[in-house]
Amino acid sequence: MRSPSVTTTAITIAAGLLLAALAPRAAHALGESTRFQVRGVAHGGADVPRPNAARRLGVEISKRTSVDVLRTPGTSRLDDASIFDHPFLYWSGDAAFEPLSGAELSGLRRFIQFGGFLLIDDASPGAAGFDASVRREIGRAFPSRRLRDLPNTHTIFRSFYLLDRPEGRVRGPDHMEAIQVGERVAVLYARHDLGGAWARDNLGTWEHPVTPGGDEQRERAIRLGVNIVMYALCLDYKDDQVHAPFIMRRRGGGP
Amino acid sequence: MTGTAFSFGIPGGGISAGILGLTLAVLVVFGLRELLAEPRAQRRWVLGAMRLLTATLAWAVAAQPRWLTERFEEREGQLAILVDVSRSMSLPRADESRQARARALLERWAASDREGVSVFTFGEHLEAAELDTLAESLPASADQTQIGGALTELLAGDGGEGLGAVVVLSDGGDRSELDVEAFAREGVRVHTVAVSEEGLRDDAIAEVQADPVGFLRRSARVRVVVRSLGGPGGPIPVTLRRDQEVVREVAVEVPPDGEAAVEIPFTPTRLGRAVYQVSIPRAAGDAVPENDERAFLVRVVRDKLRVLLVAGQPSWDQRFLRAFLKRDPATDLISFFILRNTTDLTMAGPDELALIPFPTDELFNEHLGSFDLVIFQNFEYGPYQMASYLPRIRDYVVRGGSFAMIGGPLSFHSGGYANTPISDILPVELPPAHGATGTVVEGDFAPRIADGMERHPMLELLPDPSQNVGAWGRLAELRGINRIQRVRPGATVLLEHPTVTLEGGGAHPVLVLGTAGEGRTLALTTDTTWRWGITTGGMTGDASAYERFWDRAVRWLSRDPALEPARITTDRERYGPGARATVEGVLRDARYVAHGSASVELVLRDASGEEVGRVPARTDADGRVAATLTLPERPGAYRVQAQLSGREGVIAEEWLVIEAGGDELADPRADPGLLARLAEATGAEHWDSPEAAPGLEAIDTVRRRSLGVRGTAPFSSPWAFVLVVAAFLGEWVLRRRWGRR
Repeated sequence: MRSPSVTTTAITIAAGLLLAALAPRAAHALGESTRFQVRGVAHGGADVPRPNAARRLGVEISKRTSVDVLRTPGTSRLDDASIFDHPFLYWSGDAAFEPLSGAELSGLRRFIQFGGFLLIDDASPGAAGFDASVRREIGRAFPSRRLRDLPNTHTIFRSFYLLDRPEGRVRGPDHMEAIQVGERVAVLYARHDLGGAWARDNLGTWEHPVTPGGDEQRERAIRLGVNIVMYALCLDYKDDQVHAPFIMRRRGGGP
Repeated sequence: MTGTAFSFGIPGGGISAGILGLTLAVLVVFGLRELLAEPRAQRRWVLGAMRLLTATLAWAVAAQPRWLTERFEEREGQLAILVDVSRSMSLPRADESRQARARALLERWAASDREGVSVFTFGEHLEAAELDTLAESLPASADQTQIGGALTELLAGDGGEGLGAVVVLSDGGDRSELDVEAFAREGVRVHTVAVSEEGLRDDAIAEVQADPVGFLRRSARVRVVVRSLGGPGGPIPVTLRRDQEVVREVAVEVPPDGEAAVEIPFTPTRLGRAVYQVSIPRAAGDAVPENDERAFLVRVVRDKLRVLLVAGQPSWDQRFLRAFLKRDPATDLISFFILRNTTDLTMAGPDELALIPFPTDELFNEHLGSFDLVIFQNFEYGPYQMASYLPRIRDYVVRGGSFAMIGGPLSFHSGGYANTPISDILPVELPPAHGATGTVVEGDFAPRIADGMERHPMLELLPDPSQNVGAWGRLAELRGINRIQRVRPGATVLLEHPTVTLEGGGAHPVLVLGTAGEGRTLALTTDTTWRWGITTGGMTGDASAYERFWDRAVRWLSRDPALEPARITTDRERYGPGARATVEGVLRDARYVAHGSASVELVLRDASGEEVGRVPARTDADGRVAATLTLPERPGAYRVQAQLSGREGVIAEEWLVIEAGGDELADPRADPGLLARLAEATGAEHWDSPEAAPGLEAIDTVRRRSLGVRGTAPFSSPWAFVLVVAAFLGEWVLRRRWGRR
């Protein structure tokens, strides 16, 4: 596990603040609606377990990357056409849920087929309720595909930060699961309560303790969130040949 | 006059009928042996006869014998003489040529008193001539020997109906696989007079086969067939040159009076049209040195379209465009995305990040010329010290590269491109400063197809124009545009905003195409065409519009020939000196509207661009044009250019090659056998030399025309089958009555 060097981080922050003062101008999108948005999935009236997680992920994306983010997260049902306006969906839950309706299944299939990205986050790792419901609905929506273990060598682990494994509020399994459509990961399933590590209230207080790694693990969970969004937006960009020698050298595998 | 033929209708014809007959005969013989037990001779004879009758009738019904009777009409007709004037008639040059021997025969025939004789010359085309004067001015200049084409044209012409016979005076050097049987059905006798000789000495490049398209720096092959006539054969060196520079030399072992093939590899190293020459050394006594060298054209392209995509920030627009370009196996995509900028706080050291420096110098200095298309997608150049590269990008486009700018908050005026070299090549002009209306316009809108652009291929979602407009109406709305000041003169607006207008008036453009020097440019003032994919797909179930649009856009930018508004083609790629080239094409303007009923000129230029010929033509209502150009004598590469009369600018262009020998002299041998077969097939006479040909009075001109074929099949009637059954029943009844089984 690579942990951030405090000194290096401090220098980076200082340099960033300095350059921020010199920056020519901030980008203004061609309207609010064209910005990237983390859109939550609403289903069956269930409470969202980490209501501040999506907004916080948006804040981190906006702060750390050049992505133009709409900081107010939205929510859509899977049978609502608005899911096709924002192709990144975040589905978090901590309990079993009712089966999706036919219209919701149809909407989910079209969303994935035409290029959307769905991040499923189990906020109750270790419990069976949400996990069993997710697997049941994924099986119904994509009967010819199934969730497969995603190797930690996948582009998602180097799409912005260099990461070794998934972590969230809990350390959890050493891998995530995914459904691929062609070469593209279209559905990503994490059983690490990512939202639990991201969630922060309006006063800036982290809402949930992160175990066992504390703040360093929380930082890595945030970085994973950034990487997931970067992968959704750039796909296998970091697999392009030009990136390979830099990444190998930084991972210690090259000159 | 009639002719009769006999056949069987049973599958397998006479063989099946014979086998069936033998089988029945054996059965009858066995049956007759059983009748020997019958004590009464009369009954034996009656039953035997009945058995024989039944078997015979059954055989006839099964075998279906039939008679075909063809009736003919014979009548005296006119006589036409076809004289070969192809270049091979000038051979052999050392002795008396075929042309000279043909001339002597024509002089003899010119002295004839026979009436009703018409004379034509032929090579590539049929042309009327006068028998009295033809011998004096008999040419040998046509670039092909088309006996079949000449006969077809003659028979289809005004005098074809009244023809009784044709005399073809030729060396028979027609390499177009003449179907002699086709003329047998016409009823016109085609007498032939062969002009040939023995012992022609010639080493030649008989055939050259190469793909017309080659890929840059990828090995290609040309197949060369070398023939040796009248010589000892042996190894013959074959040299491949490009622009007179030797590319490769190989030796091919050619048998005496035979031919051999060799494949020569070569690797194109420059893009564009390349003229390659293949040659062999001139042999001692070679009668046809022109065919010692041949040429071929190769259009050298990249095996894949190289696209550079630079995006100023990750976005859905960039994501879907990258996915589309990466998915296309014909595209080699190099992409660079700015993942963070100077204001971002990554909270990590460089070794914890997968980010790399933006390699501006490698992209825009070292490798810029290797790209077919450069796309700036929502990209501002300022933060990356790129100002010094902008003139290079402009020059790259002016020299023939393609450039597209796609909108977004970092693009067009917002990207700082006003008054830069990039603004020189864009098809739109940018506001010099922030105007009162701002640099972007927010809000959803459905772009409108600009007037007259319905047929532009980039907007063709469906082939039918009226349905296509409906298809555009079903697309998801776009969101926001970058403001521009005005459309550059000469640029073409394809899509425009339905409500936003330019400061100077007129609809604000959304999609504009233009040219800059030799290059092509595209300006798309929005960053939400990705909504034509997933958003439209979510609404309608069909997300293909996005890929169709970008496929056409990339192909147009990279000058895909299939999307060019105007095209001309020649009937061949290679010609002999002085040959006539038929040029055809369709001429449309940049809006893909036909140049209908327009005066145009087809200009022939050599490789250096100097004009060597010009012919006027006129298009039809659909912009189609056809004309014939007489080519010069000098071998080399030439291009035909179409341009509107009185206007500058080339609308369309095609290349061709003039060879010293060409196809006509590639095989200089006479082929009297072909002429003999043609005469035999049409019931006519063949004379193997002009000296053996009789006077015109002795030539049979009776035309034999078929009036139809009548078939008679007496056993095809149902009554024949009834007769078989009746015979069988009759024998069976008699056998039962007379106490036999």
